[in-house]
Amino acid sequence: MHQYVFVVIGVLMAIAAVRLVTTKNVVHGALYLLMVLAGAAAIFILLLAEFVGWVQVLLYIGAVVVLLLFGLMLTRAPIGRTALDNQSRALAALVAGAIFAMTSMVLVRAFDGQMIDFSQTLTVRTLGGVLFTKYVLPFEVVSVLLLAALVGAVVLAKRDE
Amino acid sequence: MPEGYFGDYFTFGMFAGLVVVLVGGTLLLARLVRPRVDKDEKLSTYECGVDPIGGGWTQSTVRYYIFALLFVIFDVEAVFLFPWATVFEEIGIFAFIEMMIFIAILGLGLVYAWRKKVLEWI
Amino acid sequence: MTLVQGAREFVAPGVDLVALAPELILVAVISGVLLIDLMLPQDKKGLMMPVSALGLLAALGATLFLVGDVRITLSGMFVVDSFAVLFKVIFLLAALLTLALSHDYLKDDEIHHGEYYFLLLCSLLGMMTIASSRDLVAIFVSLELISLPSFVLVGLRKRDLKSNEAALKFFLFGVLSTAIMLFGMSLVYGVTGQTSLVGIASSLTQFPPLREVAILSILFILVGFGFKISAFPFQWWVPDTYEGAPVPIAAFLSVASKTAGFVGLLQILFIGFLGLADIWRPFLAAVAVLTMTFGNLVAIQQKHIIRLLAYSSIGQAGYILIPLAVVGVGTPELNAIAFQASIVYLLIYAFMETGAFACAIAYGRRGGGYFVSDYAGLSARSPGLAIAMTMFLFSLAGIPPLAGWAAKFFVFRALIDGGAYWLAAIMAINTVIALFYYAAVPRQMVFAAPTETRRIEIPWMLSSAIALSAIVVVLIGILPDIFGALARAAAGG
Repeated sequence: MHQYVFVVIGVLMAIAAVRLVTTKNVVHGALYLLMVLAGAAAIFILLLAEFVGWVQVLLYIGAVVVLLLFGLMLTRAPIGRTALDNQSRALAALVAGAIFAMTSMVLVRAFDGQMIDFSQTLTVRTLGGVLFTKYVLPFEVVSVLLLAALVGAVVLAKRDE
Repeated sequence: MPEGYFGDYFTFGMFAGLVVVLVGGTLLLARLVRPRVDKDEKLSTYECGVDPIGGGWTQSTVRYYIFALLFVIFDVEAVFLFPWATVFEEIGIFAFIEMMIFIAILGLGLVYAWRKKVLEWI
Repeated sequence: MTLVQGAREFVAPGVDLVALAPELILVAVISGVLLIDLMLPQDKKGLMMPVSALGLLAALGATLFLVGDVRITLSGMFVVDSFAVLFKVIFLLAALLTLALSHDYLKDDEIHHGEYYFLLLCSLLGMMTIASSRDLVAIFVSLELISLPSFVLVGLRKRDLKSNEAALKFFLFGVLSTAIMLFGMSLVYGVTGQTSLVGIASSLTQFPPLREVAILSILFILVGFGFKISAFPFQWWVPDTYEGAPVPIAAFLSVASKTAGFVGLLQILFIGFLGLADIWRPFLAAVAVLTMTFGNLVAIQQKHIIRLLAYSSIGQAGYILIPLAVVGVGTPELNAIAFQASIVYLLIYAFMETGAFACAIAYGRRGGGYFVSDYAGLSARSPGLAIAMTMFLFSLAGIPPLAGWAAKFFVFRALIDGGAYWLAAIMAINTVIALFYYAAVPRQMVFAAPTETRRIEIPWMLSSAIALSAIVVVLIGILPDIFGALARAAAGG
């Protein structure tokens, strides 16, 4: 059953991802991105990482895509194929395809036959416990990172007097 | 009817499916019964009755972007509060201090945005 | 929910405030600088520079207090040992020198000063934590904290198109390589179930992973670090970014940020993946050879001094990387020698590169220019500056008795001890090629006719930065064992 759900989500995500990079309208692209991210959230939930899945929904779908859309709306004429496309799609497709083939082959060989234990869910409590005891240092560093991101983005985006 | 973790999501999925069916069904029904008028004017953007000129794209001001950005940063902060709340009592004062430092540092970001006048509209 | 005492699943880790003192001071300074920028009136904002400098000195004091100690805190996430202390001192010194380089540079540029100092210190904090991190998560977060403020710093000259281009290239390369590195790290976690480097090492020896998985994850992780240390083929951003960035930031990137990349890489390779040395050694050898050859060959054609230094710094990254090509599984002595060689080179590189950038700034801002041809006749106009610049460039080239020569000596010794004669030969050829472009600037300064005769005024901060770097370059050239001993201590940790 899990496999079927996984395949359905996976196929939907793959289609959305391909449309994301081929669509000529960047706003549609952003919406396809939203679909891909929703699929990722669904896969997290399917793999019992419930909290991570919902964080994905909250942060990526709720915030990052919104930010991206506002970013797009700052630009002047983003619709239609523009000169920005550097026309090396064939090469890019080749490289991406090769990397995909290589990684998937290796991953299949590495984790072949291993089963996911579906009886153990990752609770928020476990996550919180580990995050706030073992991973204190990265957690606090992240706060400075977020502050730097905020200040950096504001100083770049702000109009100078 | 499956139980437990996936059972909950199964229920959730059923309701989600129901939403799709209901909304889609209503739209389909409306499409079937309403009269159709195929004219170019009907498809064009309504702009006070005058024929629209140019595309529908308008450039938005950078303020929206900065607001969205602040939202993302504080959204991340909020997300960390959930797992913190579940173990706060167990870990005790240490967890409290940790989170206070985290919030204080991010609070500086809010002060920054305020003093640099990006929170003002106009 | 009330829990019975003793039945707690999660217990707060111990906090060693002394071990954390340098970082805590730095956080306080970061907040202080930001608040000065926000709260004080315009005429008091000059305080930011002295406050940052004093804060860095305080952090330096707190770090020096830890010399010789081994402290492990925050549930093993934060380790203070000779290695960490040595590099923290280097990062703090590099940041202090960058401040000295920035002070007068900022005066004549329309850069937001508050954000400049703030972001610089944030990036420094990431470097401090990466030196103490022995865990993939901590290393990753630290790397992000190093990179993210640098993206903004590079683009701070908002009106300058070159600065915009520099920031954008830097950013795009940065996020892509980071994403790939993160994928590699997740693979490691998937195979070992561990994030701490020690745990990874023991898990890898107990359950050796499939060879392909090991190769793939190491390659992916190398991509992220390759970007940071500007190794081939992830060096494309370097020249454009250095050229477009504020020059002190270019110096900061090429010294502190690059060193931080090496610090992370050395820890991952020597603590986490030492057991897989046979797998990563050939990759590192290839990357090192390509990096130095590319950097040196392209540097020959450069007309712009910052671009020349950028390509030279790519070449230098190859020299720092190449000792790792002799590291093996069952050869602890040789590994220690290789480790030391890389560290000594890093230490010496930090001073000679900073010195060269400082000279370029001193000349560029004060009536000179940033093209090699602008240096015509400098020896007649400002003999002191000309001598200093020549010294740093010759040191980078590896001419005795300057420090760069000692650095190369350590590397050659590691290569020859490891029996990698052909690598030593390639490096020797590269050193000869590099002489061409390193000597090009002094040639202009001495033999070309000056277009101007005005003397060049150098502000005291800049000249003391140059003087400090020059003293180190000369002193270590004569007594290389000072850095040798430091590196031995670090390798012992």
